[in-house]
Amino acid sequence: MPGHPAGDYRRLRRSLVLRMALVSVIPLLVVSAANSWLFFRLNRAIVVDQHALSLRHQREALEQFLAAREAELRAITERYTVAELRGGELDRVFRVIRQQPEVLSDIGVIDSRGDHVQYVGPFDLAGRNYRDAPWFAEVVERGVYVSDVFLGYRGVPHFVIAVLRREAGDFWILRATVSADYFERLVNVSRSGRTGETFIVNEAGLYQTKGAHGRLLEPAGLGKPAWHEGTRVGEEEIGGTRYLVTTTWLGHPRWLLVYRQELGDVFAPLFDASLLGIGIWLLGAVGAVVLALAVARRQVRRIRQADQEKDAMAQRLVATGRVAAVGEMSAGLAHEINNPLATIDTLRTWIQDLGGARSIPEEDRQEILESAGKIGEQVARCKVITQGLLKFSRRVDAQPERIDVEAFLGELCAVARARARVDGVALDTEFDKLPPFECTPAHLQQIVMNVVNNALDATAGRPGARVVVSSRLEGGRVVLRVRDNGPGIPRENLTRIFQPFFTTKPVGRGTGLGLAICYGLVQELGGTIAVDSAAGGGTTFTIALPQRAPDAGRSTP
Amino acid sequence: MTGLCVLLVDDEREFTTALTKVLRRRGFEVTVAEGGEAALERIAERSFDAVVLDVKMPGRDGLDVLSEIKQRSPATEVILLTGHRSVVDERDGLRTGAAAYLLKPHPIPDLVARIEAAAVRSRAARGGGGA
Repeated sequence: MPGHPAGDYRRLRRSLVLRMALVSVIPLLVVSAANSWLFFRLNRAIVVDQHALSLRHQREALEQFLAAREAELRAITERYTVAELRGGELDRVFRVIRQQPEVLSDIGVIDSRGDHVQYVGPFDLAGRNYRDAPWFAEVVERGVYVSDVFLGYRGVPHFVIAVLRREAGDFWILRATVSADYFERLVNVSRSGRTGETFIVNEAGLYQTKGAHGRLLEPAGLGKPAWHEGTRVGEEEIGGTRYLVTTTWLGHPRWLLVYRQELGDVFAPLFDASLLGIGIWLLGAVGAVVLALAVARRQVRRIRQADQEKDAMAQRLVATGRVAAVGEMSAGLAHEINNPLATIDTLRTWIQDLGGARSIPEEDRQEILESAGKIGEQVARCKVITQGLLKFSRRVDAQPERIDVEAFLGELCAVARARARVDGVALDTEFDKLPPFECTPAHLQQIVMNVVNNALDATAGRPGARVVVSSRLEGGRVVLRVRDNGPGIPRENLTRIFQPFFTTKPVGRGTGLGLAICYGLVQELGGTIAVDSAAGGGTTFTIALPQRAPDAGRSTP
Repeated sequence: MTGLCVLLVDDEREFTTALTKVLRRRGFEVTVAEGGEAALERIAERSFDAVVLDVKMPGRDGLDVLSEIKQRSPATEVILLTGHRSVVDERDGLRTGAAAYLLKPHPIPDLVARIEAAAVRSRAARGGGGA
């Protein structure tokens, strides 16, 4: 059958799969990317908001804590006189306000000369003089003071809250130390993730609480922080690691509350979600590709089927046109022969006219008249042929006979082999033993010889040229095959080879009628002829004939 | 009956030469034209009792010449003789007034008999009994 090379369909399927996969995967990719981006932005905004909010709450809590301590001290200075405190009341008061666990680690009264006149606490600080300590001047000036963390006389990091009380033209100061441990716990409560930490630095950028990894009074890696309003969130790189840093300033003292977390840690849940997203996307992409494969396969199968139907239809159309064309060709041929026949017959009459002359010896006269008569017989015979040709496509004149296929084809191939030898082509036969079948010998001969001659033309002079003629019984039909290893027939010619006057042979070599006549004859015999060929792959003609000749009167309209 | 004038129109020279010999031997007066134009010239020069006309010819074809002859001299009998059978040509030829539509090679004795019959008819129609 004429067909498209399988490679065409493979290419078509590949390009279909590619296009469909791209068409489905690319939008999927774009949407997923856009989704991820939006999701990431949203998530980041939420995280930043959360950090800012929780830090603001913590700042308020710390401010309240400091304010409460200050208020407590203020209340004590207003409730008690310095004399009462020095007289033993400080002990009692401290036991009440220190709370459990320890919020304040000690408390003391300092007079206007800077002497530590009364002290309750674990250190030996009574009698020390603070006139020259920076906080002393500060508290004298402002009435209240919260210090940065410092070592002081005790050599342990701490900070103090001091309140000034004016009494009878003099003043005294009540000073309490906030427990560093307690304050540390208070600050570093909001730890989230693996690396989240909250800590405080002073204006110089030194740790006031140590957070998760810091050391008190050492630089926190934030430089000397600038003052800003409200809460600020930003990314910072410290020692090769990127952090999300949230900061807010306390009012008094000038401390910066910092929440710091590694970026990777902050967005770890997001990355986990992204991983899941990528997995889902991959699944979708694989699904799209599988779907594309399935759809492409089905489409190509449909196209292939449509092509085959189209080819078959083209062949049928060609066949109808071909039979008419063969009839026309036969008529033209008959005309060409009829004219010389008329001349021959007229000349025969002339010879008969002259042959009767008495001048010719009796013996010769008989010969001449007899020969002229025989010429007349031969002309009449030729006329039968030409008349038959004129009716060629309408009626089978020849009578079917019972044919021994093997013997019949054997003879034909013997004749063809003579030519094959000259062309350097090996002509082989593969005949099955078949029962005799009914066929018109002249037609069969013409069919086989036309196809074999074409095969010889196609292979002549090619290295390893071979033509195989075979016969066998297939599905109740006598099937003859002529197979060659020639260059094959290009696809575009396959539907045209049975058309009259189509030839690829050099001018003068082919008439373009051989296969057209074959097709007409095979039809007359009630059979089919088909060609199977691929450019470069050799050609096989398959002629299938019924075992019984069709009823001549009904074979064709 | 002798002296019947016949015009042979055919581009096959061998055929006309042979047929001329056969007809002359049988007493016909024969003129040959090798194509349609030549045939009309001959007819313009003189009248014929019968015309044997090929259908397929280069130049003006047989049917064309036939209608021309029938216009100029309706009594002239025309026999169409062709190597190419065509049902359409046969129908058109007979309608235009051809005496017969014959297919080459037509048996010579029958052809001669038809020519003679046609020529006699023609001469009778033109109101004569002889040359």
